[in-house]
Amino acid sequence: IETARIFDFEEFPVRDKVTYMYYTGRLEVYNENFLAADQKLTYSLNHCDPRKEANIRMILKYLIPVKLSIGILPKSWLLDKYNLVEYNDVVQALRRGDLRLLRHALQEHEDRFLRAGVYLVLEKLELQVYQRLVKKIYIIQKQRDPSKAHQVKLDVIVKALKWLEIDMDVDEVECIVAILIYKNLVKGYFAHKSKVVVLSKQDPFPKLNGKPVNS
Amino acid sequence: DDKEEGKETTQQWEDDWDDDDVNDDFSLQLKKELESNSQKS
Repeated sequence: IETARIFDFEEFPVRDKVTYMYYTGRLEVYNENFLAADQKLTYSLNHCDPRKEANIRMILKYLIPVKLSIGILPKSWLLDKYNLVEYNDVVQALRRGDLRLLRHALQEHEDRFLRAGVYLVLEKLELQVYQRLVKKIYIIQKQRDPSKAHQVKLDVIVKALKWLEIDMDVDEVECIVAILIYKNLVKGYFAHKSKVVVLSKQDPFPKLNGKPVNS
Repeated sequence: DDKEEGKETTQQWEDDWDDDDVNDDFSLQLKKELESNSQKS
């Protein structure tokens, strides 16, 4: 690492730079530096010989989980073209707020995700899926009665989760929502006694917009 | 060169997907579920 500093990165052949960025990008994934990982793997992807499909697939295997963790989804043709269909359900789960589908997808492809070392990255997507689910509940409430929509009863979230075959009591749901608030995925506060989360009237579900979830 | 990279990126990735649309099957079922529950309680 010390001697590498005396070389100028740009002097190396493109294929070596692509390889270097791929491996250092993977390291950033393991260290959960998702912004650095995104930058390095994206470099690797954009400069990779487009005919080397196997290499592109290897890069995407890491870049996709990184992009998902900063709130960016791959287009479905990308998953099809490079045969990364194991991500289809994960993407669908994020779009829907379908926690059951996310858990199911992680279980179904557990081996593959564990071997690639991205399982833990994908597991953390749960928070984004919870955010999406609460957001959907909020929008549905808003259609029915806009004046009360920003008050979401924890009971209602419990019921939605039960519908998804996920058994959680009010206290557990309160805990999850507290994490969502702490991580800035939800803006609002609790009315603890009445078991209600009161959402901010302004931007109650901040988007990640290419930034990692606060840790 | 930068412009080209940007173009590639928009073709591959989607960052504005978190919309307010609740007309997909999943949302409609969720809606039905929540409404049936609210009648019970």
